[in-house]
Amino acid sequence: MSLETVDSEGQHIASAVSDEVVINLSQVNKWYGDFHVLKDIDLTVYKGERIVICGPSGSGKSTLIRCINRLEEHQRGDIQVNGVTMDTNLKNIDAIRRDVGMVFQQFNLFPHLTVLENCTLAPIWVKNMAKSEAESVAMTLLERVQIPEQAAKYPGQLSGGQQQRVAIARSLAMNPNIMLFDEPTSALDPEMISEVLDVMVGLAESGMTMLVVTHEMGFAKRVADRVIFMDQGEIVEQNTPDEFFNNPKSDRTKLFLSQILAH
Amino acid sequence: MAELTHTDAVFTPKPSQPPPPNTVGVVGWLRKNLFGGPFDSVMTIIGAGLLAYFAYGLFQYTIVNAVWEADSYRECLDVTQGAGACWAGVDKWMNNYLYGRYPDAEQWRVNLGGIILAVWLAPFWFEKVTQKIAVGVSAVLTYPFLAGALFLGGDNGLFMQAMSSVALTLFAAVWLNVAACYSGRRSLGAVLVQVTGFAGKDDRLYKWVYLAAFAVGFVVAFIFQSTWNLAPVQTTNWGGLFLTLVISGIGISTALPSGVILALGRRSKMPVIRVFCTAFIELFRSVPLITILFMAVTMMPLFLPVTLNPDKLVLVIVAVCIFAAAYMAEIVRGGLQAINTGQYEAARAVGLNYWKMMTLIVMPQALKLMIPNIVGNFIGLLKDTTLVSIIGLYDILLMVRASGQDPKWLGMHTEPMLFAAFVFFVICFAMSKYSQHLERTIGGGYGRR
Amino acid sequence: MAVLEKGSPHRASRSLSEWLHDERVRSVLYQAIVAIVVIAVARYLFINTSENLQARGMSAGFDFLSTGAGFSIAWSVLPYTAGDSYFHVYLVGIGNTLMVAFVAIICTTLLGFLVGIMRLSKNWLIAQVASWYVEILRNTPLLLQILFWFLAVFSLLPRPNKSLSLLDLFYLNNRGLYIPAPVPGDGFNITLIAVLVAVGATYAQAVWARKRHFDTGQRFPAFWTGLGILFGLPLLVFLVTGAPLTFDYPALKGFNFLGGASVPPAFCALLLALVIYHSAYMAEAVRAGIMSVSHGQTEAAYSLGLRPGMTLRLVIIPQAMRAVVPPMISNWMNVVKNSSLAIAIGYPDLVAVYMQTSLNQSGHAIEIVAMVMLFYMSVSLSISMALNYYNKIVQLKER
Ligand SMILES: Nc1ncnc2c1ncn2[C@@H]1O[C@H](COP(=O)(O)OP(=O)(O)OP(=O)(O)O)[C@@H](O)[C@H]1O
Ligand SMILES: [Mg+2]
Repeated sequence: MSLETVDSEGQHIASAVSDEVVINLSQVNKWYGDFHVLKDIDLTVYKGERIVICGPSGSGKSTLIRCINRLEEHQRGDIQVNGVTMDTNLKNIDAIRRDVGMVFQQFNLFPHLTVLENCTLAPIWVKNMAKSEAESVAMTLLERVQIPEQAAKYPGQLSGGQQQRVAIARSLAMNPNIMLFDEPTSALDPEMISEVLDVMVGLAESGMTMLVVTHEMGFAKRVADRVIFMDQGEIVEQNTPDEFFNNPKSDRTKLFLSQILAH
Repeated sequence: MAELTHTDAVFTPKPSQPPPPNTVGVVGWLRKNLFGGPFDSVMTIIGAGLLAYFAYGLFQYTIVNAVWEADSYRECLDVTQGAGACWAGVDKWMNNYLYGRYPDAEQWRVNLGGIILAVWLAPFWFEKVTQKIAVGVSAVLTYPFLAGALFLGGDNGLFMQAMSSVALTLFAAVWLNVAACYSGRRSLGAVLVQVTGFAGKDDRLYKWVYLAAFAVGFVVAFIFQSTWNLAPVQTTNWGGLFLTLVISGIGISTALPSGVILALGRRSKMPVIRVFCTAFIELFRSVPLITILFMAVTMMPLFLPVTLNPDKLVLVIVAVCIFAAAYMAEIVRGGLQAINTGQYEAARAVGLNYWKMMTLIVMPQALKLMIPNIVGNFIGLLKDTTLVSIIGLYDILLMVRASGQDPKWLGMHTEPMLFAAFVFFVICFAMSKYSQHLERTIGGGYGRR
Repeated sequence: MAVLEKGSPHRASRSLSEWLHDERVRSVLYQAIVAIVVIAVARYLFINTSENLQARGMSAGFDFLSTGAGFSIAWSVLPYTAGDSYFHVYLVGIGNTLMVAFVAIICTTLLGFLVGIMRLSKNWLIAQVASWYVEILRNTPLLLQILFWFLAVFSLLPRPNKSLSLLDLFYLNNRGLYIPAPVPGDGFNITLIAVLVAVGATYAQAVWARKRHFDTGQRFPAFWTGLGILFGLPLLVFLVTGAPLTFDYPALKGFNFLGGASVPPAFCALLLALVIYHSAYMAEAVRAGIMSVSHGQTEAAYSLGLRPGMTLRLVIIPQAMRAVVPPMISNWMNVVKNSSLAIAIGYPDLVAVYMQTSLNQSGHAIEIVAMVMLFYMSVSLSISMALNYYNKIVQLKER
């Protein structure tokens, strides 16, 4: 793990957590067929909070964050995002998705569109933004993720790290107030991981509310306000990174940490 | 670092609860797959209604109102008023649908031919049998002669007799091999070597053992077949499903080898060969089969010496083979293109020459990739064989048409066509399902990403 | 010379066996053998043919094309009367082939898309129905299906005096399908011009709406406006010019219908069979194309806030079309080729009128077979050129 590398770069970034609730899950349950994936999940996320979610494979991390923008449907319990309740009302779902950006493990860029078109598609067609305006917003964001020179290329011509940074820029182009990351660096070669993490750190510094599923413990230590550990569809333990890494409460957490940190 | 101590809170996972009742089980399935929303529900109801209507109609027509015993179509109509099928007519004509005008007394030869082929190829599906390739190759190369001798009857000359004997010998060898494999030996060859006492001797002598055994078998088979006294049956009397299977069977078994050769030719670096193969493939792929058939029966006789006076069936089979080869060539080419150049380079690097590289390294991989397309092509060919009815061969389709023109069964079209459709569906559907099965089992690990 | 460069230049004379094992020598040798065999076979066939023709007292050549064909053709798109030249018969055959193939291609594409999308439906029943539709149609011979529609459906229709009719305008009976034939009056040309103008205006409107959307972000209901212009403008012009169009209605006179336009039952049966059979293949191409777009694409679009309809239009379809177009086009080619099965039910297509009737009458087998094959080859060639062009464009856009 890149614990040392990122850790040595700097201290924990100052947190900017306000007491405004942006996401609230209460008693959320989800099943895949007969399989109980999420069990009574309670989670409150405050504006500006940066949460890292970790846990063994198959523990339901992806499922949890995918429920937050309705890529998965939960069967019991309540989910509220920005005060909007998630139900079958398409208007509500639209409203939530507009304000929640998501970055995937496999990037999922649109291969038939250029980098710039990837970033302007949603602003033009969802927000009805003028093309020139959308392009200038997109260029600003591409500069922020440090690949403005790639704007005219197609995703297939970029490296993995560059593609993931485009994916981040594409989400940011909708100006979301919450960002979800599902293992954004797991599909990347080691030398590309840090270029993506750097972008995410920058995003954290700007005060974005972030939920990040990752196994990059260095990133967690440096950025997270709270670390959540999941196993078998439950939140086993949540705490500040300091407490979480140095003083874990549960035996399950300790086992996990010893495995993940024991190269 | 985290270490386990006895003061830890012990994590006990919550027990899984059963899902809400309306999301699983029958109700959940219905809600998810049939009644997901108002639009979905309407579609389901409309669809189910239409389906029930057609299914009921078909059931009424084919079973409930059908007539099974009658002597003419009139009689059927009197009973059903057209609301039911007249299976009596199909039953009376069944023999013709299957064998055409092949004499009743000789039809056992057709059946026997079919059984021999099935028995010959059966070891393919036996687990312990070795040398399955040899089973297939021997059948493809020699069975047609044996079958030809059996179906034609009469005196077909020394060449046909010799080839039938070879076929009989190989057929026996295939099954002796099965017996050898299942009695714990490695193969028939090993048994032969052991029995003759050559085991452990110089293995260059082995091939002489095999040859001698083959010669003995050949002589026995030749004597055996010369005792046959089969009445000649002209090809003009061949017909029905039998004829359809003969034509498509020959087409299928020649398509693969000739398709491979054409495909290799098209990819060859030698311009003369490449141009010739490309022209051949493109010409016969771009025109409809019916024009090739017309070409065969109208133009071919002009090309050949008057004295030859070729059989129409032979001309048609040649046309079908050409057509099938051209299509197969493109499939093989597609398969070859999918093989990584690294494979060619590696084969060259270990010192294989062109033919060894192709037969040992490239073709086996490419063939596995091509299985779905090859089977698709076979199915296509079997269906396309029905076109021979247009130029007057009495295949199953022409028999179906003929039965509706029989004065006794005048107007009986729907029933025989349903029967023929059913026959084709069963054969083709089974083939396509089997190819999907093959793709999943032996094709695994190759083409899929 | 060239051989020496790569071989072993140091030795002046090499043994024959060494020479035969040289790669280049072999290559030349193989090619020479193939060329000689091909030429020998061609010569043999040529000699046989000329002997055969002589024996039959015939001469090869295309002179017969200008002589009159004595037979009549039951139905044709191009005008034809018995006695027109054989070359005219060729053109009439091509016209009939293209007519049925063209209509079939349009219908089969639409139906194929519908069935392909149905196969992917989340509704189990719809998906199952679509999948059995595909399986049944693909696993029975087309010729059988054509005969079925012709013998078991269209031939069993009632006689003209008991026709099935729709609104007393359209009649279907065992002589064919009868529809009112439009008879344009004075000034109808203005309406035709209006149609052209409307097409242009619709296109311009769509371009303008897109530009405005890109420039200002404001959306414009281009689809509905376009639809309005497309139908509204010609209708308006038509009414203003005094509706100068009358119809010639089919009517029963004696034992048959007169007036109106009609297509024979063979046309209906062939068209229906071609459309239904190929729609099954089309559906498979559509299904495979849509499935080739990974689910991640949909999820990414949803997470950006795109609605399902827009996701389909902007993300899924553009990608799926790359996989759908090549098999779709080769399917069109198959429609053209399979329309030759018309001969089995007496629809006068190219093969029926030319390769069968004309060939039987004139006996010029070689010339006629060559001409028919030439037609199908040129259609196939143009279609594959179109396909290559499409592939090139797509590749350019991707990289
Ligand atoms: N669509 C699905 N249908 C059925 N089961 C699923 C589906 N998606 C996920 N699962 C199952 O649900 C469980 C949780 O999956 P999830 O993807 O949320 O795990 P995860 O914690 O993200 O694991 P990983 O670290 O491997 O990504 C797993 O056991 C998985 O097999
Ligand atoms: Mg996951």
